[in-house]
Amino acid sequence: MKRYLNVLLGVLTAIGGFVDIGDLVTNAQVGARFGLSLVWVVVLGVVGICVFAEMSGRIAAVSGRATFDLVRERLGPRMGFLNLVGSMLVTLLTFIAEIGGVALALQLVSSVNHVLLVPFVAAAVWIVLWRAKFSAIENVLGLLGLTLIGFAVALWQLGPDWGELASTLSPAEKPAAESWATYAFFGVALFGAAMTPYEVFFFSSGGVEERWTRKDIGVMRANVFIGFPLGGLLSVAIAGCATVVLMPQGIAVETLGQVGLPVAVALGKVGLAVVVLGFFAATFGAACETGLSTGYSLAQYFGFQWGKYVRPRDAAGFHVILLVMTVLAAGVLLTGVDPIMVTEISVVFSAVALPLTYFPILVVANDPDYLGEHCNGRFANLLGVGYLMVITVAAVAAIPLIVITSMGQG
Amino acid sequence: MTGSYDAALHLLDRQVVDSDGRLVCKVDDVELTVGADGSLVPTALLVGLPALLPRFGRHLGDVLTRTHAQTFEAQAGRAVPDVIEIDLVEEITSEVHLSVPRKGLLQPRAEGEAAPERIRLGDLLGLPVAADTGTGLHRRSRVLDVRVVPVPDGRRTVVDALVVGPGRPGALLGYDRRSEPGPWLVADLVRWLHRHARVVALGPGVEIDVPRGEVRISERASVAPLLG
Repeated sequence: MKRYLNVLLGVLTAIGGFVDIGDLVTNAQVGARFGLSLVWVVVLGVVGICVFAEMSGRIAAVSGRATFDLVRERLGPRMGFLNLVGSMLVTLLTFIAEIGGVALALQLVSSVNHVLLVPFVAAAVWIVLWRAKFSAIENVLGLLGLTLIGFAVALWQLGPDWGELASTLSPAEKPAAESWATYAFFGVALFGAAMTPYEVFFFSSGGVEERWTRKDIGVMRANVFIGFPLGGLLSVAIAGCATVVLMPQGIAVETLGQVGLPVAVALGKVGLAVVVLGFFAATFGAACETGLSTGYSLAQYFGFQWGKYVRPRDAAGFHVILLVMTVLAAGVLLTGVDPIMVTEISVVFSAVALPLTYFPILVVANDPDYLGEHCNGRFANLLGVGYLMVITVAAVAAIPLIVITSMGQG
Repeated sequence: MTGSYDAALHLLDRQVVDSDGRLVCKVDDVELTVGADGSLVPTALLVGLPALLPRFGRHLGDVLTRTHAQTFEAQAGRAVPDVIEIDLVEEITSEVHLSVPRKGLLQPRAEGEAAPERIRLGDLLGLPVAADTGTGLHRRSRVLDVRVVPVPDGRRTVVDALVVGPGRPGALLGYDRRSEPGPWLVADLVRWLHRHARVVALGPGVEIDVPRGEVRISERASVAPLLG
């Protein structure tokens, strides 16, 4: 019985923890501008993150090696360092965006300008990273994040013509006013938001934190193959709400409040309050995950002790990094930069950094030295290689698309 | 330590873990000592930026190493790597297990590093190979890895062979060393890139000249294909 409860808890936290500021903003923006014509990218991205999260989780369970260990072992110190710099920049950008997202969620509740809230949010994030237990962070914020189901309820309450809505799923339904270049730009952004590299850093390092063994592979797979797709459905619900409410009014999403607007329309104040709680939990949880991920990647490249499974004094360097990163993120936000803009930049650059992270995972997932009998099967390899190609195309296309569309303005 | 392994593939850059399961460092480089009989024995793991930075490539590595040394000019010992004696290594799996706790473990050699008989694996890797045409080696061959085997008399290990081939990307991926099906596209590509790679047994006909920066291989050397 306890085992089933554990599986259930894992799946629920995986659903609630799946959505972060990148998914919230990008899905709402895309829904408001392109309707559901880009949903296929979300599906592609969610399947992709499942494929690679399962591999990295399996490697962590069998060999105890987290993702950045593999990056350095398989790419060597020089390419590994290049990867470290790129991934750290993207993860730090995401961390900044998440802390900004928490502040924006609190601004919706308190009407206090988010810049004033940033120092308090950053302090709270750091205290949680320092003092709270790993499982507590994951479970509490993951379960609270489930309140984002409010978007699915809102979509149902809005009562759109489902047949008509389903007919807009095809890429051919791109609104005529939008160019194919902006369509491709937002496609890459959605893909980057779904497959953000920190997710595998965090997932595999979390596996080591929780001392997974071979016996936990089944539970891990349940989390990935049930939790992630259901979390992805929340992303689609966000896009759906924006399609039904915002798109006909021609409202472009520029604030977090506009992301929640369709819920207010459908469910009133209580519904809005519930999803704002979801915004808070999702961004706070992701802030903890990205913050930890910066520490994980640096420590795993250089080899010093990391993790919350030891006392902070035993992983002093790791905790110093977390503090420095939190201060840095708060400092950037205190300049008054718009967190939504940081989010937009972070998801696109995520797409650029993807291949360097996912390639070593695919290689090691085939290495019997690490995995013994748990090596990739044909199907996992087929998907892995297929995705590697898709990821490479997205990474190569990202920067030209940024230039051509001026970050999706054009 | 049991079994044979390829040092660059199986030891370099791996996580070092102490007897209490705490993380210590990475294997930033490996120290090899040339014995009186000419044998090459791994004697220590080298740790820290002075060991890691030179591995960033010949030019970039030099610049970084020099800059690092100048930055900490006042501190004695900062320019030499810390060592972990190879005797303290209990087992090499996907991590390197030590038989002692980590506290106070890392320190540089008291006598400094300058001893002609000690060379770094990082310096050996990438050395150009000057091979006689009769050996059948590719003319742009470099040292890609060293194969370490246990000595029958007990715990000691010794370098038994060099892996040489044209220095192309992917040597660290391991596909050139084993025939298991990887994702076939990647595996086949790496195997094709490394089709000229060979294992050259240390012994007559093989001369490692680190100061002059080359490895000379004559026709007397025993050359075998890398895969099976």
